[in-house]
Parts: sequence; structure tokens; C-alpha cells
Amino acid sequence: MSRRKPPSVKEDVTCNLIPMIDIMFLLLLFFMLSADMTQREFEDIVLPSADQVQESPKEKGENTSVTVNIFHRQESPTFTCAVYSHGGTCRDKTHWLFAMRSQEFTHDTLKDQLQQESQADLEPEVDPTTNKRMSARTLIIRADRLAPYGDVQKVMQLCGEVGIYKIEVAASNPLNV
Amino acid sequence: MAGASIGDNEENPVAINVTAMVDVIFCLCVFFMCSLHFREMEGKFDTWLPKGKGSQGMPSEGIITEIRVAVFWDEAKQQAVRMLGTRVIQDDEDLQTRIKSAYDDFVRMNKPDVPVTIDAHALVPWSAIIDIVNICKREHIEKIEFAMGAAPPR
Repeated sequence: MSRRKPPSVKEDVTCNLIPMIDIMFLLLLFFMLSADMTQREFEDIVLPSADQVQESPKEKGENTSVTVNIFHRQESPTFTCAVYSHGGTCRDKTHWLFAMRSQEFTHDTLKDQLQQESQADLEPEVDPTTNKRMSARTLIIRADRLAPYGDVQKVMQLCGEVGIYKIEVAASNPLNV
Repeated sequence: MAGASIGDNEENPVAINVTAMVDVIFCLCVFFMCSLHFREMEGKFDTWLPKGKGSQGMPSEGIITEIRVAVFWDEAKQQAVRMLGTRVIQDDEDLQTRIKSAYDDFVRMNKPDVPVTIDAHALVPWSAIIDIVNICKREHIEKIEFAMGAAPPR
């Protein structure tokens, strides 16, 4: 009995890459659109949480707010803080920094910068209580949840001195994450 | 992966090698995935400063005209200590109840615009202050003041 040989079938196995390319393009588009390429106004900070905080509406037109970040110095090969890295409350004054538009400031240099910000946008009318034109800028204080209150006080005090009176303090809403 | 042709070879004899493009898109994807930063939802509390008033320190009047919450920093226990009057209050709910009770007393005296003054030591963590602001907002107390200057007396 002779066995039949199965007919040889030549199959051309090719990988169809087109759907994958489509998906890759969509992914690329998503990541490109969500990428934050602007100048970093916000530092990476763990904000204090408050359930009563309201998300402020986005400003239309000209941006009249400026953000002061108060945060702990980042760990680096040359700098470590044993207290903060273990979740403790660091109270070393030199470890806490102020930053505006990614630029770091000290207690002494912050006032000059706030003065510039204040003068850059003044209210049109002279205020009757102070007899001067107050700043139209809104200052947002974004302080780390463990930041010493004295540093926030310092910013508020400097704002009062340079004529910025519109102040907002940032907090994260735990119900809105 | 070698090259891939689009469509049938017999119909379309010009094959396009998409391998290089796929490699580039992969690299771009990895770059944007790594640089992706999800922003936490955050909001703000308005804390407008009084115009033309500097820090006024402790009130000089004998009559109580405010609800004052003093906050101290306990270095040994590494925690904030809150006091309403002479009473130490650590529990949030207890503090809310007592602030509400004090506020209601002022409302009964026809003083609904009484402020809650937060008088805290400079070393107190910022989250302890925001907790008190949050409690006041829960009770719809809009006038919240931050005491400036010297640390509160014990």
C-alpha cells in the first residue's frame, strides 16, 4: 500500500504591521498632546488635603496669577535629609526653598522678585485706604504639607509689604483625585 | 521584524519598509510615556490680605471679639498641639464642634462676621493650618485670619 504524499503548500507568512502602526500613532498622539512642555510653574509638592477646597476656574485671557512654591530640597548625591526622607517633619530652615517659575529664591531674594511681580500689574484705581495703587496680581502659595508655617507667613508678610493682597493657598482635594 | 509591504505584492510591486518608522515611533512613545506627568486635582482657598493693615499682633481689647485657635509644635512628639481657649483639642470632629458652638454664640450676639484667628507657631506644619481652615469652611465660616508676629503665649 502506498502512502500519498501530502501536497506541498507554500504559505507566505507575513506580519501585517498596519494595525500596530495605527495604534502606535494614536498612542503617540495621546502622549504628545498630554505632554507638559511649558515652563514649570508648579514644583512636585505633596499638598495638604482639604475636602472643602474648590477647583478654581481657569483664567481666560491674560494670566494674572503667580505661584510661589515652598518645598523641601530634593535628595541628591550631595544632599540628603534623613528626617524628610523617612517621612518626618524636617525643621531645618536651610532645607526649605521658595521657587517661582522654576527659579529658586531665598528669604532675602524673594522680596525683590515679589516687588517686581507686584509692579508689573497694578490696579487702575488708587486704593482709598492705602492711597496707592495695589497690585492686581493674584499670588498662589503652594506649600508642601510639611512646610513650616513660618515660611508661609513670611510670604504673606512680604506680599503685604509689596502691595499684593490677593492671595490664594493651594490644597489638594482628596475626593476629586 | 523585517520589512513589510503594504497590500499585495503582485498588485503593488513597490514595497515600503516600515521597520524604521516603527522603531522611531516606539522611541517617541517611550519618551512621551516616561515624561508623562499626571497632575493631581488641586484647588485654592482665597486668603486676601487686608489692605493698608500690617501685622497687628495680639488683640489689646479685653472683650473677646474672635475665635482664636492657637497651634503649637510639640518637638518631642513631633506633632501639632491645638488649643481653643485653654482647652487642648486634638480630634478634628471635637474641634469642629467647639468652633461651631463658639461661632453660634457670636451669631446669637448678633455678630455673624466674627473671625476665626489661627495663631500658630512658625514650626507648625502647613497641613495643620489647612486642617483648621478646612474645618472653618465646613462650618461656612468665611472670615479666617492668620495671626502674625510673635508665637502665641501658652
